[in-house]
Amino acid sequence: MIELHDVSKTFEGKRQVLALDHVSLQIAKGEMVSLVGPSGSGKSTLLNLIGGLDHPSSGEIVIDGERLSAVSDDELTRVRRDKIGFIFQFFNLLPTLSCLENVSLPLHLRGWKKQKAHERARELLDLVKLGKRVEHLPEELSGGERQRVAIARALSIYPPILLADEPTGNLDSHTGEDILKLIRDLHERLNATILMVTHDNGVAESCQRTIRLRDGVIVEDIRR
Amino acid sequence: MSKLALLLATAAVAAAQDARQIMQDMQNRQKSDSQRYQGWLRVADAKNKITEKRWTYDRIGTAGQSKVVIRFTEPAEVKGVALRVVNHPDRASDQWMWTPSLQRDRRIAFQDRSTRFFGTDFSFEDLEERDVDQYDYKLLGSERVAGKECWKVESRPKKTKPSQYTHGHIWVEKDRLVILQIESFKGDNLIRRIKYTDYQNVQKIWTPFQIEVEDIGRKSRTTLRTEKLEYNVPMKDDRFTLQALRRES
Amino acid sequence: MMLLRLLTLPYVRKHLLRTGLTIAGVALGVLVFVGMRTANDSVLYGFQQTVDRIAGKAQLQITSGEGGFPEEVLERVQAMEEINIAVPVIEAQVKTGLQGQGNILILAVDMTGDRSLRSYDIEEGEDAVVDDPLVFLAQPDSIILTREFAQQNNLSVGSKVSFDTMVGPKSFTVRGIMKPGGLASAFGGNLAVMDIYAAQHVFGRGRSFDRIDLTLKEGIALDQGRQAIEKLLGAGYQVEAPSQRGKQFETISKLFAVAASLNSLFALLIGLFIIYNTFSIAVAQRRSEIGIARALGATRAQIRNLFLLESALLGLTGSLTGIAGGLIMAKGMASYIGQFLGDLYGVAQHTEGLALNPQTLLLAVGVGVLTSMVAAWIPARDAARIDPVKALHKGSYESITASENRWRLVTATAFVGIAAFCLVTGGTSGPKLYVGYFSVVAASVLATPILVRALILGLRPLLRLVLPVEGALAADSLMQSPRRTSATVAAVMLSLSLVVGLGGIADASYASILDWVESVVNPDLFVGTNEQISERSFRFPASLGDEIRKLDLVDEVQTVRSTRVNYRGTPVMLVAIPMLQVQGRIKPKVVAGPANVFEAAAKEGGVVLGDNLALLQNLNVGDMMEISSPSGVLRLPITGIAIDYTDQLGAILIDRSLYLKHWKDETANLFRVYLKKGVTPEAGKQQILMRFGSQNRLFVMTNRQLRDYIVKVTDQWFGLTYMQIFVAVLVATLGIVNSLTVSITDRRRELGVLQAVGGLRRQVRQAIWMEAAGIGLVSVILGLALGGLILYYYLGIIREDMAGIRLEYVYPVKIALLLAPTMLAVSWLSALGPGESAVRASLVEALEYE
Repeated sequence: MIELHDVSKTFEGKRQVLALDHVSLQIAKGEMVSLVGPSGSGKSTLLNLIGGLDHPSSGEIVIDGERLSAVSDDELTRVRRDKIGFIFQFFNLLPTLSCLENVSLPLHLRGWKKQKAHERARELLDLVKLGKRVEHLPEELSGGERQRVAIARALSIYPPILLADEPTGNLDSHTGEDILKLIRDLHERLNATILMVTHDNGVAESCQRTIRLRDGVIVEDIRR
Repeated sequence: MSKLALLLATAAVAAAQDARQIMQDMQNRQKSDSQRYQGWLRVADAKNKITEKRWTYDRIGTAGQSKVVIRFTEPAEVKGVALRVVNHPDRASDQWMWTPSLQRDRRIAFQDRSTRFFGTDFSFEDLEERDVDQYDYKLLGSERVAGKECWKVESRPKKTKPSQYTHGHIWVEKDRLVILQIESFKGDNLIRRIKYTDYQNVQKIWTPFQIEVEDIGRKSRTTLRTEKLEYNVPMKDDRFTLQALRRES
Repeated sequence: MMLLRLLTLPYVRKHLLRTGLTIAGVALGVLVFVGMRTANDSVLYGFQQTVDRIAGKAQLQITSGEGGFPEEVLERVQAMEEINIAVPVIEAQVKTGLQGQGNILILAVDMTGDRSLRSYDIEEGEDAVVDDPLVFLAQPDSIILTREFAQQNNLSVGSKVSFDTMVGPKSFTVRGIMKPGGLASAFGGNLAVMDIYAAQHVFGRGRSFDRIDLTLKEGIALDQGRQAIEKLLGAGYQVEAPSQRGKQFETISKLFAVAASLNSLFALLIGLFIIYNTFSIAVAQRRSEIGIARALGATRAQIRNLFLLESALLGLTGSLTGIAGGLIMAKGMASYIGQFLGDLYGVAQHTEGLALNPQTLLLAVGVGVLTSMVAAWIPARDAARIDPVKALHKGSYESITASENRWRLVTATAFVGIAAFCLVTGGTSGPKLYVGYFSVVAASVLATPILVRALILGLRPLLRLVLPVEGALAADSLMQSPRRTSATVAAVMLSLSLVVGLGGIADASYASILDWVESVVNPDLFVGTNEQISERSFRFPASLGDEIRKLDLVDEVQTVRSTRVNYRGTPVMLVAIPMLQVQGRIKPKVVAGPANVFEAAAKEGGVVLGDNLALLQNLNVGDMMEISSPSGVLRLPITGIAIDYTDQLGAILIDRSLYLKHWKDETANLFRVYLKKGVTPEAGKQQILMRFGSQNRLFVMTNRQLRDYIVKVTDQWFGLTYMQIFVAVLVATLGIVNSLTVSITDRRRELGVLQAVGGLRRQVRQAIWMEAAGIGLVSVILGLALGGLILYYYLGIIREDMAGIRLEYVYPVKIALLLAPTMLAVSWLSALGPGESAVRASLVEALEYE
């Protein structure tokens, strides 16, 4: 499903930073992978590249058979829109929209009619057990609830690939557990390919496969 | 040409000649060197509102070559207003209006001849004298009008006599050769009907003492009654000038 | 569109005031544009309607200046073979003397005549308008009124009514009432009809007519007929189609149109900056949302189009608001323009309604929307280019790249070069003037960031002097956000420069006119036919002047007759004065020719031109002027050119004897009266009024009163200036509030840290105020500088294109001195809100940014 061939990423700025150094890896369809490593090891960068949010300085990324380097920016956006669900650490919900509207946003972007989009959104909010809070604004929800909304949003398009950047990083352990359970649950149900960045070893070990990064290079690839 | 056609053609020419002859005869009977009368005018409009005026009428000359002065005498507001007409045999007449309060005259422009004469049903053109030679005639037949047998003649103004009308029908009493009625048309529309009644013999000339003009479109009627009518009264030509009008007001 | 509802609406709702002010920016430009254009169009339309209604079916009209021509001409015209119908006309303007009715136009025609030329009908069908035409004609006081006028004044057939005419009060008897519609609707019903010969008698016109209306025979073309008539009558007669009357108006209304266009262009430019600013800020504030949307799959195009759509909607709202406001403004302006133009035709135009020109409205909407979209183009493009990764990580990023700076510098220098070139190569006239003007504006706008930076650097020490820490913070903040700051500064700078420009014009014209008044308008008293001494259709007999001269308090009386003549298609004022007498009393400001220009002109039989006419028509001393008179075309030499503000379109001064000889018109409009030494103006005025006031309609104005009146008119320019100051304040407020708000948002962390390490709230506030002061100061400096340049170009444009009036360049120091403290006050006030929000923001929230 996801292939990286010799991917490097350098950040230009006051100094040059080599975030990823000739990384190659393959993730099969339906795998649940955790991505670990110390701060600055390039985990987030890797995730962003796979998600098409950024371009590698060199190398090739293939998503579901499509070579990202070969496509235009619009095409890239399309890939992102149709194939990838993103769960951010800071939730990144639009504060002025209700839960329902937040979840249905990706669908609107795809051109779905309002009614259909809201139907699907309700479905997903039910799935994450927030069916009764659809009209609420994010500021009225707790951290855990917000993350659940974010997950619902990520799933709205039934994406084949789910990328999560420290999904429990901002939550207390109890809530975090719930979220992870939810993600695992969804993984089983939808058979999505999941790549999760985390600094929590426990979380990492609960996944089938763990890839460890350090200084932009893969140092470990454990399959359980 | 077939005999019938020839006959008809001749008849037509004869008819025309006849018609012209009739008109000529009629005119000859009217001949006088001058005429004077006092007139009493009554205008009734469509709503039957009545206005009355009086005027004096002086004419010198005859048959299309004459001078006419009409002076209003009543009511007081219009006293002194006069119309001066100089008729020509071969072209349109010249007309001037005199207003005493302004002490000046104004020419009635030729283009204005179809305008009603001061609120009456006569138009300025109707006040002109017609000479037989200014029209073409056709005899249409006979008809009874006001109980009398009449020739019905159609008259069409010649090119030298521009007119607001295209043609007219004239009923001439066969007996005395006087005009009893004239209908004036513009195309198919009847514009005016003038009836001449109360014929009296004055100095051997049959003169209508009542003339009634009906404006068909406006549904109004003007009646002119003449009083104290005389012919061949000696008149001086200089009475018909502008200066004379000025002097007399 | 969904995105609009989800991404735009919440933002707009939160920032309602800002959105409102932004819309106001667009609305202003559109308002000026629509207002002035519509006012113009309405007056013109109303006038044309009137002309058409009065002209009826007339194809051509023959006139001869304002004096009329002899009756005989009519017969000659009627005899022409090309002519179908020709009728004479006299028009007389009279005062109704009735409550609130103003003037009424009496149309005098030949009542015996053919009415096929006009669209009215006096005698028609059952409803005869005139009961008894004979009585009507017999009585010279007969008059026909419109039903509207009659009803308004409780008049009916038989009523007597008295009007104030040129020859004194006259009584009329109503003998007919016209039905509404067609002719009766001209002048809103303030029209009466009477017999033309009666009118000659009543108004003392002798044996002349004002005009002949005619139609041509079928098959004769308009030009053919016109040429034939001109050939027959010779010079001194104008033969025009009725619609050409409107052309005279058009010339003048073009003046207003040019002023309107310039003003609205400027206003739109300012609006452009406001929108640019607003959208830049909006994009900056919504960066994270945009990043999320991008991350979720919104394409660049979708983001860009969203902002463009927002700007288009903003523009549309602004345009519609501007149109509404403009139409209201138009009503007011229409009456002003109408009054001014009514002087030309005689009866004041009261425009019945506004002539809405769909073209103008559509153009206004188009321009408003286009301006908005153009202004929002760069921010929209920037929004589309937002990197989702960076956006989601919430940092402040704003800079103008080095390359952009270079591009700006180059282009700005290029414009400066163009302006300099135009200036050096005789750029005081024609297209070079406009090119120079636009180049200067363009250069200053492009160079704003560079200039701002330079000025901030220069002002930094000053700011630090006032408040060391806060001043430094403020200066740094301004330097770090050049684009945002310079957008605000540019908008304010343009507004202020306009204030300076208008102020300079007001000052200069005030000075010039006052100067002229002092030197030329120096008689003790003015005796005229109306309150403003300006009406011309009412006239005095010359004998009145002699009578006034006989009064014992009076020393000298100068008789003045002014009338409009057509010179090369423009209706200019011909002023006949006793030049030798006048020379003895005044010191004209001579621009070209001998110092005793009037004396010379009298001796030579030449004319003296007002210099605005000379400029506009490119005439010089020694040239020959061809002026149409009733006795033929006169060729008169130009003896001299002097400053003269008698008439906006230009004045030709001619000796009275010359006028009498060729125009054979002994009437006068005005008497300039000099009193004997020691006599007070009041005493003189009293004597004249007592002696003549009852029999003649006359008004006596003292010199003081006339000056006050002239000054009042000039003051209107000042009114415009103050209005512009108000606009500048509005613009500044919006710009500064916007700028500061974003600055605070961007620097939230920094400000939070400041407080966390011991900074007092007061200090944070003051830092914000200093920033605002910085913006204000820089704007004022740049605005005053640019204003000085713009004033130069404005004076040029007025001189060359608009009125030919030569005004001196006087920098409006008073206004400038007023602006500096005003802008500083405005800056401070604008900073209050943002300052508060800066300290209110919770520390934790500010720091919790990681």
